[in-house]
Amino acid sequence: MSTEDTQDDEPRHPYESEDSFHPLGEEWEDRMREELEDTEYDADLGMQMARDAQRLVAGEISEEEFYAEYHDDVEEEFEADDRPLFDDVDPAEWDDIEDESVAESLAEADLQGDETSRREMMKKMGAGAAFLGYGAYATYDFQPADGAPDNVSGIRPAPKDEREHRWGMVIDLQRCDSCLACVAGCIDENGTSTGANWMYVFTYEDEDSEQENFLVRPCQHCSNAPCAKVCPVRARHTRGKDGLVLTDYETCIGCRYCQVACPYGVNYFQWGEPDVEMSRLEHLDMRPEEVRQLEGGDYGDRDSERYQELSDANDHVYDYRGRWTDSRPPQGTMGKCTMCPSRQDGHTDNPKGTVACMDACDAQGMSAIHFGDLDDEESRANRYLRRRTEVERTVLEKWEGVEDDDLDIETTASPTSEISTFRLLEDLGTQPNIVYLGNEPGPNAEQSEPPTPYEVYSGSNNKWGVEVVDERKEHLDYGPSGPPEQEGEEGGE
Amino acid sequence: MATSPGEPEDILRPILNTSKKYYIAFGIAAAVALLWSAVYGWQLEEGLIVTNLADWGSGGGSPWGLYIGAFIWWVGIAHGGIILSAAVRLFGMKRYQPVARVAELLTLGALSMAGLYILVHMGRPDRLVLSVVPAYPWTVRTSPLAWDVTVITLYFVMTATYLGLTIRYDVYHLRDRLPDYLGPFYSLVTLGYSETEEQIIERMVWWLALGIIVLAPLLLHGGVIPWLFSLIPSMPGWDGGVQGPQFLTIALTSAIAGVIIISYALRWGYDWDHILTDAMFRGLTNWLGLFGLLFLWLQLQQVINGVFAEPVAGKTAMVARITQPYYIVAIGTVIVILAYVFAQAVDQRQFSLVRSLAASFLMLFATLTEKVLFVFEGLLYPHFSLYEAVPGHYFPSIVEFSSLAGTVSLCTLFFLVIVKLFPVVELHAVEDHHDEHEAAHDEEVTS
Ligand code: SF4
Ligand code: SF4
Ligand code: SF4
Repeated sequence: MSTEDTQDDEPRHPYESEDSFHPLGEEWEDRMREELEDTEYDADLGMQMARDAQRLVAGEISEEEFYAEYHDDVEEEFEADDRPLFDDVDPAEWDDIEDESVAESLAEADLQGDETSRREMMKKMGAGAAFLGYGAYATYDFQPADGAPDNVSGIRPAPKDEREHRWGMVIDLQRCDSCLACVAGCIDENGTSTGANWMYVFTYEDEDSEQENFLVRPCQHCSNAPCAKVCPVRARHTRGKDGLVLTDYETCIGCRYCQVACPYGVNYFQWGEPDVEMSRLEHLDMRPEEVRQLEGGDYGDRDSERYQELSDANDHVYDYRGRWTDSRPPQGTMGKCTMCPSRQDGHTDNPKGTVACMDACDAQGMSAIHFGDLDDEESRANRYLRRRTEVERTVLEKWEGVEDDDLDIETTASPTSEISTFRLLEDLGTQPNIVYLGNEPGPNAEQSEPPTPYEVYSGSNNKWGVEVVDERKEHLDYGPSGPPEQEGEEGGE
Repeated sequence: MATSPGEPEDILRPILNTSKKYYIAFGIAAAVALLWSAVYGWQLEEGLIVTNLADWGSGGGSPWGLYIGAFIWWVGIAHGGIILSAAVRLFGMKRYQPVARVAELLTLGALSMAGLYILVHMGRPDRLVLSVVPAYPWTVRTSPLAWDVTVITLYFVMTATYLGLTIRYDVYHLRDRLPDYLGPFYSLVTLGYSETEEQIIERMVWWLALGIIVLAPLLLHGGVIPWLFSLIPSMPGWDGGVQGPQFLTIALTSAIAGVIIISYALRWGYDWDHILTDAMFRGLTNWLGLFGLLFLWLQLQQVINGVFAEPVAGKTAMVARITQPYYIVAIGTVIVILAYVFAQAVDQRQFSLVRSLAASFLMLFATLTEKVLFVFEGLLYPHFSLYEAVPGHYFPSIVEFSSLAGTVSLCTLFFLVIVKLFPVVELHAVEDHHDEHEAAHDEEVTS
């Protein structure tokens, strides 16, 4: 099953289908009917009510219509029955029941009825629960155990044999000196606003080491991304074909739930107008919906009309599906590191398999960031990882030569490599796609002053002339007009 | 305090007469609501930058704050209100029958305010329908926020149906005494009414009440609202299955406080001492105490679990919470209220309407404070705390605070309009007083 393309290739909207109104399809509906038929009430009526309850939720009919439609039916259906349950209770007991706790009253009511009326009550409760429950199914459902419908997409990458890549990074923290070139490279590439540092580098001190440590933090492009799971509109999603976790800026409603659910703090909301106007980013003279309407191809299809348009324009805003997912977000939507999808889709001047932060890092001669396909053993990321652990293994082999019998050193007890690799907060089950080489920050690590302040890249030191700061809140606190000195300088989308 | 039972004339008075008090209340509420809509207009224009919210992480802020806190608070009031009314109908708690409809109306009003808060909180409210609806069949499986929207809609429909059913009876029987200028509205409400349906309506109402009670522990504050937080692995302050029960107690406490306040206003405005009796207020005050106690108990559970030998992140979050002055004030307030409730339960002379009213206002203040703190304190102490800017800073801006005044005014306006449309005390309540003098007197004894 293909799970990558949620826009173009969507199966029919369940509410449009005549045969089955339930999102889980006919089988589910049949089961529903069977259960309703077990009650002595009209199953057709129940089904019809459930169907219309869904239309009600979808906004196709109004509450009044819903009520008007069922009033008579329900009346007829239940008229045949005898008195309301409460009449089973002797009126003399009313006073005892009032103001008692819920549980006591229930017990009381139960004891009052004789055998018949109790059975009657159970039946009513059963049918009542079924009707109400199926009304609720209109709005609340779950995945059946026997295979999820194949349109559940956008949360995880496709299985290994169905995807093209699984983009990720190997970041060598021992090579990093926190020059922040990657931070600036990302800002130049994406035009992010002040303080929205999609790429961020920690300088920190840890208890058991004297030296400064660094941690390079882009989005982890998790394979089990909580941010994508919680998004109420599927704006935050995972591209099945290559595992990139992206935000569709045209769909995002700005609820910030992804930001709350992400354990890494990599999301930056566009609180006000973006610092860099859309006209400076957009090389195509088209509205997003026009781009989507262009005839597009599959992943990697270089012949489609859309691909041609995008690559002629050296576009850096749309991905191969024509969705606006790259560069900085517009006002009121969520942004974060994208792993440069327009590059990975091959329509920019920069080659596929590169990202701007890595380029900047290489240009500084640091080469700490190694982007690549983690599924592919020969990608730059995996080759680097192999080389790095190999080097260390040689050191280990040297150790074997100096084995000391008196000290009883067992080389076999040593790890295969001295350099540790880790993924950040892996125990949260997010399956991050950034592999770090070096030390993992301990629970008592504390961030310290970076050797290069973020402000260094402000103004003329970046492509857009925007201010660069570390802590964004101070900047946001200036409000819509921005800090006094640069008032009104930048425009938005 | 034995009083004469109410008459149908009493419950018609708000519709037929308009007092000076009414005009003043309406004027103030409308002015405040208008003022806030201007403020909200400004937010729409400039974006959420006019709030004091910011990104967590390197950003040093909290992405959710007062808006979400107030959203939960309103949902809580709504959920508690409908449970209260359903309990009255399901278990025939006659003493509270006069406030059953007030509780239902409170549910509708509060749910609307909660819905409004969703909109106010969003960065792109213009996309609400176009983004949410097409994605719905998928998101409903994974996104707690989609569940919330669903359940709020469901409860709104159920409550409105419920209310609509009980109003038919009243309007039909009082029709000749209701003003003619609302004739079309009344005809619509009583469309197709026949006296034979009364029994059936009664049964349907009972059914709906059953549904509401059965679904209560699963939905709204019993389920989807706390899950919005407790299912998220990133924020230890939100952890744990205790959030469901905790939210539910807060819902019930807030709703009872809300019902007390509105009932007091109605009694004061329309001289309904004989319908909304002291005995009823005493009973409500006792319930307020009971649920307040449960609220404190569940707070205690969390605090003890959080500070004893909790992993670092959880402990940091809990220590931050219990040392936060606003938290201490909120919990202290609940303790003071409980002291009053138990004092008046033991010694009736301690009871006074005004004290119960004050207790209700304080309780709503405490629950709102706790809910707002819960939201942003949780976000200030994430699991991943390497950032220097963690914990961040958040204090609501004037724009955010003004939304509280705005929504309270809107809810007040809602009630002011409703009292002019149909009786807010149901006819059954005054009829029953009429028929059963004995019951009215017996109420004095049980409490
Ligand atoms: S790091 Fe955060 S934003 Fe990025 S994919 Fe993982 S959960 Fe989502
Ligand atoms: S902010 Fe946007 S992307 Fe994030 S969860 Fe909300 S709608 Fe989805
Ligand atoms: S991968 Fe692209 S978006 Fe992500 S940090 Fe690097 S340059 Fe920025």
